Amino acid sequence: MSLHIFFLMTLLTAIAFQLGRMRAFRIAVRSGGLRKLHSLPRHYGSYTALRFAVPAFILAGLVTLFADDIAMHLVWDNLPEQLRTLPEEQAKLMRQVIIHTSGNQSPPGNNASTIIRAGWQLKQLITIILRLGWTGALLLGTLSAGLFLRKIDCTLPARLAMEKFMRWILAACTGVVIFTTFAILASVAVETVHFFQFVSPLEFFFGHTWSPQMAMHTGQVGASGHFGALPVIGGTLMITLIAMLIAVPTGLFTAIYFSEYASSRRRHVLKPILETLAGIPTVVYGFFAVFTVGPLIGRLGLLFDVETSTESALAAGVVIGIMIIPYISSLSDDAIHAVPKRLREGSRGLGATRSETILQVVLPAAMPGIIGSLLLALSRAAGETMIVVMAAGLAGNFSFNPLKSATTITVQMANLVGGAGTFNTPSTLAAFALGLLLFLFTLTVNIIALHIVRRYHARYQEGM
Amino acid sequence: MKNFILFLALLVSATSCFAQSQRRNISIVGSSTVYPFAALVGEYFTRTTGNLSPHIESTGSGSGFKRFCAGSGLQYPDITNASRLMTSEERATCLANGVTQIIRMKIGRDGIVLATSRAMPKLNLTLQDIYLALAMQIPDPEKPQRLIANPYSRWQQINSALPNVAIHVYGPPPTSGTRDAFDSLVMEKGATTFPLLRKMKKENPAAFKQAANRMREDGRWIDAGENDSIIVQKLKTNPNACGIFGFSFLKQNEENLQAAALNGYFPDSANIADGKYPASRSLFLYVKKQNSSMVSGLPAYLKEFISQRASGNRGYLVRRGMIPIPDREQRRNSEIVKSMQSK
Amino acid sequence: MEREKMSLLTPSTALRRRYLHDRLFLLAGRLAAIASFSTIGLIFLAILYTSLPAFTQSCIKLPIHFEETAFSDENLALADYDMLVAQALARIIPGVTDPGEKEDLMGMMSPGAAWRLQQMVGSNPKRIGTVEQLWLPASADIDMLRKGKLDRTTPEQRRRLSKRQLKWYDQLNAEGRIKRHFNRVFFTAPNSTEAELAGIYGAVKGSLLTMFITLVLSFPLGAGTAIYLQEFAPRNRLTTTITVTINNLAAVPPILYGLLGLAVFINFFHLPRATPLVAGMVLSLMTFPSIIMASRNALAAVPRSVCDAALALGASRMQSITHHILPAAMPGILTGTLLGLAQAFGECAPLLMLGMVAFVGNIPAGITDPATVLPMQIYLWADNSGQGFPEKTAAAIVIMMLFLVIVNTMVLWLRRKFENSHPHTS
Repeated sequence: MSLHIFFLMTLLTAIAFQLGRMRAFRIAVRSGGLRKLHSLPRHYGSYTALRFAVPAFILAGLVTLFADDIAMHLVWDNLPEQLRTLPEEQAKLMRQVIIHTSGNQSPPGNNASTIIRAGWQLKQLITIILRLGWTGALLLGTLSAGLFLRKIDCTLPARLAMEKFMRWILAACTGVVIFTTFAILASVAVETVHFFQFVSPLEFFFGHTWSPQMAMHTGQVGASGHFGALPVIGGTLMITLIAMLIAVPTGLFTAIYFSEYASSRRRHVLKPILETLAGIPTVVYGFFAVFTVGPLIGRLGLLFDVETSTESALAAGVVIGIMIIPYISSLSDDAIHAVPKRLREGSRGLGATRSETILQVVLPAAMPGIIGSLLLALSRAAGETMIVVMAAGLAGNFSFNPLKSATTITVQMANLVGGAGTFNTPSTLAAFALGLLLFLFTLTVNIIALHIVRRYHARYQEGM
Repeated sequence: MKNFILFLALLVSATSCFAQSQRRNISIVGSSTVYPFAALVGEYFTRTTGNLSPHIESTGSGSGFKRFCAGSGLQYPDITNASRLMTSEERATCLANGVTQIIRMKIGRDGIVLATSRAMPKLNLTLQDIYLALAMQIPDPEKPQRLIANPYSRWQQINSALPNVAIHVYGPPPTSGTRDAFDSLVMEKGATTFPLLRKMKKENPAAFKQAANRMREDGRWIDAGENDSIIVQKLKTNPNACGIFGFSFLKQNEENLQAAALNGYFPDSANIADGKYPASRSLFLYVKKQNSSMVSGLPAYLKEFISQRASGNRGYLVRRGMIPIPDREQRRNSEIVKSMQSK
Repeated sequence: MEREKMSLLTPSTALRRRYLHDRLFLLAGRLAAIASFSTIGLIFLAILYTSLPAFTQSCIKLPIHFEETAFSDENLALADYDMLVAQALARIIPGVTDPGEKEDLMGMMSPGAAWRLQQMVGSNPKRIGTVEQLWLPASADIDMLRKGKLDRTTPEQRRRLSKRQLKWYDQLNAEGRIKRHFNRVFFTAPNSTEAELAGIYGAVKGSLLTMFITLVLSFPLGAGTAIYLQEFAPRNRLTTTITVTINNLAAVPPILYGLLGLAVFINFFHLPRATPLVAGMVLSLMTFPSIIMASRNALAAVPRSVCDAALALGASRMQSITHHILPAAMPGILTGTLLGLAQAFGECAPLLMLGMVAFVGNIPAGITDPATVLPMQIYLWADNSGQGFPEKTAAAIVIMMLFLVIVNTMVLWLRRKFENSHPHTS
């Protein structure tokens, strides 16, 4: 849809609104005051505007979407016999060539080829169809709004109709969101099923060799094509564990300091900063991991004469840990802050010190919220991609030495799928199986987290 | 509230202003070795002709052929870069999917280098050393009549002249053409230095391939992805690792990286051009001729690629590390492009 | 054991120990807070420091003669601009004849120098026949040398600049012909294979187009869904299941959405790869849950009394929502949307799967042009081993963080407004 038409239609919609409103006013005046009307004048206005906009915009949108196809159809039917009867594959190509030539600026000469002339025709036809369609849309909208204008009287329930329409739109939004989400989840599940036709689930879940890069063509010897996901899962768990070891104490103590010790002014300033930090794109941390932490660990390793790998699990884990600190402290701070003040006052009144109050009264009360935040941070750490793609390794080592290189589910997914255009090899499909695995993992963690948080809410509401 | 609804309506309908259009730019996939050259040419092409910049993905030769041969038309790439020849099997796929008019252009030569960080002592390897270091199974040093799992973990164990450093090699995955070339130019040559494998090659070629080309899977050989820059980064920070990639990546990072000599020859322009360096191979472009009538600028892009200022002996690609091909072949290329343009 | 003397004035040992614990605990809290802020602060200082050189570019002043003989061709773009640069260089550094030496001399300039000239002549053909003193970009190596990032003492065969080039550099420097200029190219150019010509504008535009699609899809659909679920949907099993699912989807790792996008949008619907259209669609799937959750929370936070009062005065359900609840909840909904968009802006894991890891050398004009996004550009540059790219990467990060700080400030402002307009809601 060209912008001109779009603005014209918007303008006409506004005019329709005014017309409807004015007509309702006039009718109200004629029949004895506004109170006689079923709905307010602006409801009539809005409904008239709707009567114009819905058909007009839908028709104009459809025409814009399909003008190319319709025009192509017409042009195609005019082509010589031998072109029209081409097999479907070649016909498709021919159509793309015609569309390409339709980009020409000048009309073709007399001796131009059929294709070039067809391209020119196509261009002309598209313009004609679009103009016709847009005019039609405007006419249709005007007609529908006009008919409605004539129908306006005191008893017409314009407001109810409006409300019904809006409710319908809202329900449609929900439907679209739910449908796309589920359809898409289903598609991943389907690809995973595909994968398990190549590789048995037993091997996938319990095999301990991961070398998915199989031969690309006969005459080549790739890796043996082992799809045992255990080393990958092990690597993910190890890196996540390192991250949590770093982030949990630091994040929790920060949260405690924030909610219990920091003055309210300081809290007011620092809390938004903390939330901003929690939203830093992870590619930034990846850059930091590659250029600073990785080499640093390597140098430390040389210092202590320990063999380290640059893409050690430790480097990736530490950086992911730093990444999730703000996340944990922000969420835990919310949980601790939500503990009612009188609990603290009661405890202090009985002579407990501040730290005793926190450790024995506040934290237990906030514990479900804190655990919930930790679990959410856990699923974030496990699903983190950019940091590990940049800083972790590619080889699936089945070892638990954090100084050695480790790989994760997300790294393998990015590595197996990136650049591939077709899905018919087990190695690309393996990415979907890994994806489903990761999905199930985070889902479980999240369900547990939500469950804990909900119980905490329930207990608090009873206890208060 | 009214404003809100108006805003929503505006937003939603504004999107329909952008009617879908057909791809107008050139789409290129394929070898990671050719990728920097293709990108550089793409830049000159865009600046001088005013065409849209091509979209270039580094997918590896194997994945590149796969996508290239999936069909003709604009959903599929117009050019695939390759650091090996198209196999007959891939050609068959192409034909089956209606990709019938394929032009192959040899654009330059390249040496596969085995690079290390400057912090490591310079390696001087024979093909046999490399085979022994990387193959999954090697002939038993005690009883050379049978194959055993590769026992070596340090270079010195293979050859006492080599440094006492752990074997740790980042190499191309099977999707890469560099892997194929490395297999046939280095691993198989190294394998045939053993009588057992030489005999095997004659009697049972399939088993020989298995023995010569299967890389070890114990973490000493690592299939790195299709981004050679990442391997370079890893080498810079890890003094013990080796990386396998094209010559241009070495040339761009000479201050940090050094190459190992193979059979006594270091990779440099002269040794690669005359083939003295054992791991030298050619680079190719495969062009879908059919697409040149759907995408503007395809011939112009190729023309830029083979022009003197790009691929000539002092061209910008050569400065980047591509080894130029002889004049005779350059002339052949310009004839191909001319025939495309005249069409 | 002797009993300690008890006094209210002197604390007992046990009490002292408790106080000590208390102080230690506070210390631990302070240390943790300082550690977490300072680590992240240090990361940014380090990145900021690394980025500084990228904002300037070394230029060399050259006397360019736009001689008419060079523009014999009708098409000005086809003229040999490299030759103009070479001639100008030969004028200030005479006596270079050997082809290898000439190549070295040319190697001091960026290929962008010739493109600059092409642009200048293209925009004003009257320049032909004139002589101008122009500051033209130097090559990345010279640039790095100028910025002190290149060590002169490394042995020549490993050094990026030859002895001759160093000599010429010193000569030019002494003549005052080398100067660092503000790097305008970085903010206006698309990506390039040469560090000194690479800019972020292509990626920023790609990001903005992507965000536009994300906004258009996720805001109306997300807010609409939230209103429906919160205010209209029947309270039954199905609604609860949907709510739980949406909550769970918020925790799904972003990379999974990339898989979905690849399987559905690209392989099934054949939408063009690596375009803002597809990227925006995938990212909006990712932002749906957070927008829906934030909007529902905002709607639920509006006191029911407001709604009840409206209903009691005869408003319909829809009227009470559109006139009273929604205006009160709108800042919250907008906050959620902005935060969701900010997250989508910085996310590039799903885009790894959609062919966006690619070289795109021009600025995208529309949503169906191939493009890359800012975080992806950062990823690509971070992996680029070429001279000068780490600085560019850091600079791109600084720009991206600026965008995010702006969004977060907007969120803060909205929240303050929200708190003021409804003081009785917590």
